[in-house]
Amino acid sequence: MLNVLMLGVGQCGNRILDAINKEAFGGGGPSKLAKYYLRPKFPSRVETLAVHTAVNDLKELRFTTAKDRLHVPNLHGVGANRNVGKQAFMDNRDMIMGEIEKRGDFDVAFVITSTSGGTGSSFAPLLINELKRQYRSITVITVAVLPFREEGSIYLQNAAFSMRELMEVEAEGIILADNQYMKRFSGDIASAYDKINSMIAQRLLFLIESLDSEMLSVTDLGDFKTVMNGGLRLATMGFYQADKKNTSIKDAIENSFKSGNLLYPANVMDDAARAMIIIQGSKEHLDVDEITKEVERISASAGHVFKGIVVKKGNPKVLSIFTLASAPELESIYAQAARGMQDEKEKRSRARKQLDDAFAHIEDLEEIY
Amino acid sequence: MRQLIYLVLLIMLLVPAQASSSKSSNDDETTYTDFTLGIGDRVEVGEYRAELIEIQSVRDGLAVMRISKVGGALDEQRALLQNSANNFDGGAEGDGITITVTDILDDQTAKVRLEYKEGLGTAHRRTAEKSATVLDKPNLLVQKSFDKSQVSVGDEVKVTVFVKNTGSGQAMNINPEDMPPLPEFSYIAGYPPKIKDTLDPGESDSAIYVMSAVKEGSLRIPAIQVKYTDTKKNVRSNSSEPFNILIAPKNKADLRLKTTASGPIQINGQGKLNISLSNVGKASATRVEVSGDVKPSDGLQVTDLEKSFFEILPETEENYSANFVGTKAGNYIILLRVSYEGGDGAQIQEGKAEVVVLEQEYKYLYLLLIIPVIIIIAWIYRRYREYKY
Ligand SMILES: Nc1nc2c(ncn2[C@@H]2O[C@H](COP(=O)(O)OP(=O)(O)O)[C@@H](O)[C@H]2O)c(=O)[nH]1
Ligand SMILES: [Mg+2]
Repeated sequence: MLNVLMLGVGQCGNRILDAINKEAFGGGGPSKLAKYYLRPKFPSRVETLAVHTAVNDLKELRFTTAKDRLHVPNLHGVGANRNVGKQAFMDNRDMIMGEIEKRGDFDVAFVITSTSGGTGSSFAPLLINELKRQYRSITVITVAVLPFREEGSIYLQNAAFSMRELMEVEAEGIILADNQYMKRFSGDIASAYDKINSMIAQRLLFLIESLDSEMLSVTDLGDFKTVMNGGLRLATMGFYQADKKNTSIKDAIENSFKSGNLLYPANVMDDAARAMIIIQGSKEHLDVDEITKEVERISASAGHVFKGIVVKKGNPKVLSIFTLASAPELESIYAQAARGMQDEKEKRSRARKQLDDAFAHIEDLEEIY
Repeated sequence: MRQLIYLVLLIMLLVPAQASSSKSSNDDETTYTDFTLGIGDRVEVGEYRAELIEIQSVRDGLAVMRISKVGGALDEQRALLQNSANNFDGGAEGDGITITVTDILDDQTAKVRLEYKEGLGTAHRRTAEKSATVLDKPNLLVQKSFDKSQVSVGDEVKVTVFVKNTGSGQAMNINPEDMPPLPEFSYIAGYPPKIKDTLDPGESDSAIYVMSAVKEGSLRIPAIQVKYTDTKKNVRSNSSEPFNILIAPKNKADLRLKTTASGPIQINGQGKLNISLSNVGKASATRVEVSGDVKPSDGLQVTDLEKSFFEILPETEENYSANFVGTKAGNYIILLRVSYEGGDGAQIQEGKAEVVVLEQEYKYLYLLLIIPVIIIIAWIYRRYREYKY
């Protein structure tokens, strides 16, 4: 049995964590009232903790117990300022780590955060360092949410800097989720968030369940670490659940990494370094020859592919994780961020110049009364 | 044969006669001779004759003798008291004789001393022409008996006194003397027993009286003595044999009351109370009356509770049942009282039965609903608290 720690940091991280807790009440969108009559059911021993500086955001959570919501007091919030955020983390580090320590020992931790906000993006790298220091053999996976591109230059700048920090820390890897890429699921932002959050939640729970299951073909936490360590240590995650109209396992595997089902856009066949494909379903759907053939086809272009097969009643479900050797989309974010920062800089100096010009009018003049 | 009897009698007379006559020596000397006389026997000396007529009373020492003188100058019948001297014609100190009854041996025989002057000659005894009087002797067979051999306190006993004249003469003035009432018995009727005054030979009579045993114990029933006289006024008596009896303790009825009420009933529900009366005693229970009371007095209506039985025999049982209807929820006690005559006055036996009347069922159903609702609300509230931030 795996001991899993799920940390949701900042508003975005908290909300994805809440989606995970919601998912644990039953797959396929449980009722809002489920928490009143059901117990959350995790495949392993899972501890969840929502960490945030904004009390109001914590209050909005629905499926996370009160004791799993940790408020980090900071006088005026952090206001998307990562420096303030870092300071807040350091001021409260012992309290935060103590709260985690209370929850026991862990084999694997998922640190979920947006990259563009103030709290999550600044807390996450520091938190990962602390986890690595405190739990010697822990595997830490970051789940990083990239912003909508039009959200503004500060968010983009935050994303750029926090991504760099996240890639520098000792985490085993980063699973990317791109809001920009997924916003097409829904017209309004709120329901787009919900949709994205539940997609992430579903994939993470499936992953945990699979790593902890008796598999026909072995994949375990070690395999997962190896996959996450591949390429840039940046991963995207795809998922597909077949319906009974088409239970072909080959189709299910291919669908799992179709662009619409990935959390972060990538041409996995070209850009992947390593992969893990986990297949779940009733025995009659799991044609091992077909699976092997398909996996071989993928590994021909995507590098080493670990496959895991879990026999469980139902139509085939496939989770695919690809670590990427190149991330062109990320590059464009950096470019955009840099441009934005450049613009900001120019804007600032232009404004400064205008102001200086204005001040020039009163140069050499004294106040006369 | 006859000569032989005379010879024996002669010897009997001569022995005392010789002994006394040996003292005499001169005519003026007073001498005496002792004789044993049967009824009708007489002694003769000179011209005097003394005949034993009758033993009037052995007990009182009275014998009747007839004294006469040849020629008729004296002819007197006198009752002589034992051991007192009776003088005739001046007695032996004068010219007459003195007679003393020295002993009365039985109602036929007395010893008589005759004193007289030696000058009168020698006294002789003349034996009577015998047996008419002997054959005329009555004898009573007396029996006293109980009609049962086992008697318990409270039992009535019939006592039969039976008297039969088995003798040869008429018995007269028959007077049974039964013992006065014993502490163990009280006399009810027919006491004292009456027996015919006179019974001819072979005739019998009986009397019955009734008494009841009042005290337990072992005791001896004394004999009854019947006194009577024969034709010659001799007082005689005969007795029955005394015997022992045992009076057992009183037989009593012992009623046991047992009740079984049907289980809890609901309001307006009906139930049954079975009542059983069993007599485990030795005597009948009579005038058995069952009455009852319900506590508290309203809320449970009991019918057919009262009942009476004329008699419940020993080792038998009577059963009946009462019905009840509950009108108010609660615990009720039905108190039962049985009174009866059990051979030792009135007795009372009490018992009780418990009846539970339940609230109507829907009230409990209501609770059955409320409790889960409370549990659910508590559960939801707990969850709410768990998730409330
Ligand atoms: N996928 C997703 N992204 C979110 C959600 N909420 C906020 N974000 C993104 O997170 C970024 C803002 O960071 P946020 O987590 O609010 O900042 P913080 O609370 O200071 O850490 C923006 O790019 C949002 O688009 C959410 O519920 N789901
Ligand atoms: Mg926010």
